[in-house]
Amino acid sequence: MSFQFNIKDYDDVAVVPLTHDGEEDNELCRIMYSEEYKQVMSLVRALIKENELSVRALSLTSKAIELSPAFYTVWNYRYRILEHLLQEETLLQNGHDASYLLNKELDWLDEFTLNNPKNYQIWSYRQALLTHLHLHATFTREQPIMELMIDDDSKNYHVWSYRKWCCSHFRTYGHELTFTEKYIERDVYNNSAWNHRLSVLKQCDIDFDQELQYAKGKIEYVPQNISTWTYLRGLLESQETPKVLVDELLTFTTKFLDESSYALEFFAYLNSLPEVNEPQKAIEAYTTLATKADPIRKNLWDHKIQLLQKS
Amino acid sequence: MSTFTELNLQKHIRFLKRHLSLLPASHQHFDVNLLAIVFYALESLSALGQDIETAYCDNLKWIRNNYVSETIGDEKISGFVGGQTLNIPDTITLSLPNTLFGLLTLILLNDKEFFDKIVDIESICRFVSSCQLKENGAFVSVLDYKSGSPSVVDSHDLRFSYIAVTILYILGCRKEEDFAKYIDVRSLVSYIMSQSCSSGGFGAYGEPHAGYTSCAVSALKLLNKLDLIQKSQKERTIDWLLERQVSNEGFMGVQDISNECYDEEDHGGFQGRENKYADTCYAFWCLNSLSILEPNYKKLCNTELVKKYLLDRTQDVLTGGFMKNDEEDADLYHTCLGITTLKLIEGECNGLLCIPSHAARKFNL
Repeated sequence: MSFQFNIKDYDDVAVVPLTHDGEEDNELCRIMYSEEYKQVMSLVRALIKENELSVRALSLTSKAIELSPAFYTVWNYRYRILEHLLQEETLLQNGHDASYLLNKELDWLDEFTLNNPKNYQIWSYRQALLTHLHLHATFTREQPIMELMIDDDSKNYHVWSYRKWCCSHFRTYGHELTFTEKYIERDVYNNSAWNHRLSVLKQCDIDFDQELQYAKGKIEYVPQNISTWTYLRGLLESQETPKVLVDELLTFTTKFLDESSYALEFFAYLNSLPEVNEPQKAIEAYTTLATKADPIRKNLWDHKIQLLQKS
Repeated sequence: MSTFTELNLQKHIRFLKRHLSLLPASHQHFDVNLLAIVFYALESLSALGQDIETAYCDNLKWIRNNYVSETIGDEKISGFVGGQTLNIPDTITLSLPNTLFGLLTLILLNDKEFFDKIVDIESICRFVSSCQLKENGAFVSVLDYKSGSPSVVDSHDLRFSYIAVTILYILGCRKEEDFAKYIDVRSLVSYIMSQSCSSGGFGAYGEPHAGYTSCAVSALKLLNKLDLIQKSQKERTIDWLLERQVSNEGFMGVQDISNECYDEEDHGGFQGRENKYADTCYAFWCLNSLSILEPNYKKLCNTELVKKYLLDRTQDVLTGGFMKNDEEDADLYHTCLGITTLKLIEGECNGLLCIPSHAARKFNL
């Protein structure tokens, strides 16, 4: 039996056709289905009903998913088919090799992913495969698809989330500083890359001072960038804050108060910390934000000034 | 509704009605989520003041047909499927999102008969209960099509936590003990709180996202658990949300030179994450979150500019509807959230359920 979809393989199937339940006048959103869609859906509905777990059923799900990527039951069905095909006796019966089947599945999924980057099912399906069926999966096998997807859409939330899942699943964090650096070099505003870097820091063996210098360098490069300032604050909050570090950051931040609203905000935050406690300086920074640096949020900055004045 | 000129209003109505009639084959990928289309269109028409209750009363039977029951072991579960293609014998195809869309659509159409006589509340709540994961308290959106256990291939993000809680709320759960009859409230709440991000907001793996933030705060509000967000975290979340409003004034404008996701024409609109373009739908997700966390949010946020952004930049005055941004065609999802945001700002929308206040009031919601 071939893995390629061929309509002739399903001649014996008693199809479950798509119905329009006879109430055609009162139907909403009636779709004028293509002949192919009707044919494939009638077949897949029939095989799902019977729960036929076979190679031809697997090929049919590829076709059905291609036509209707959001059809969650078909994804679920495909998983059960694969699970069955991977059982030892089925493997023997079909003359298949488990790793051949699994690699074929990942190849198919890679291809589908590249064509459907915003699909919700692909990543959770992949996680299920790697968690329950593919017991020899590797981080290395996952890298190319993640890179291709991020190269195509550098802030794709699903892919960055999947990468974090992979790091935790395979317990590997060694590549991540280099990986995020590559995307930060490409676009210093890539918030997902900065966020990823911050989230893996605890797992990586980092040199804190070196990381601090890295963040400062990127701020000097582009001071008006929220992602780098958030990262800097994240770094600071990841430590028991020694006063000397806060002082150093205050001096550093002062350099950008004439050009960066995020510097002003960070400056106000530092001055509100108990170890600094300079509310007047924070108020001045918020005043600059309200009047000059970020007037769209005047009400927020005025509100912060009021809070400081009250305490 | 004076927000729109008469001409634009008529264009929006035509745009919305068109999505409820015959659709070309290019819409086949919506086939398994038709109730979403129906909800977006009817919600928008209702928000625009159209009498959908009369205009669509003949379609009630078709909508109700998507309400189905299944048996797992000796237990009956019920909910909605997204369309008749999912009506497959001996197969469990109910989904949480379609169940919410189905229930909300019948609320919009004021279908009292369904809620009084047809619906089996206990069995829908059992379906919701079956979708909760024991290991972390989160929800998946569908069950395994044969066994009825939570689907292993589905994701379990904050969207489904919100949807699960909202379905239970619609069906009458108010106090913690009501919810606790069906779900493990403590583990759900601890899952939601685990998605809180250190820089403010909520999201997966520490990256805050306006959509997930709205799901998290809405669910906590419906569960009466908002006070679990600590004061400092609440303040940071409000700041984070307000800072998603894109501006071209002051120091913000300098980004124009080097930030590829910055457009000064986005002024007043909301982005869903840091350093992204503004997008119609995030105006809703951000303002809804703000209105839940801070009922006086209009004192903090310049909503006049949001209106201006929506009406001048993403409203499609040629075809009707709203676009995601100024580059793509108008689509139903962004039309729904564009119109609904304008109603939210006017105080005429129940943001927790994303339906007009007048529709929610008829069901004491």
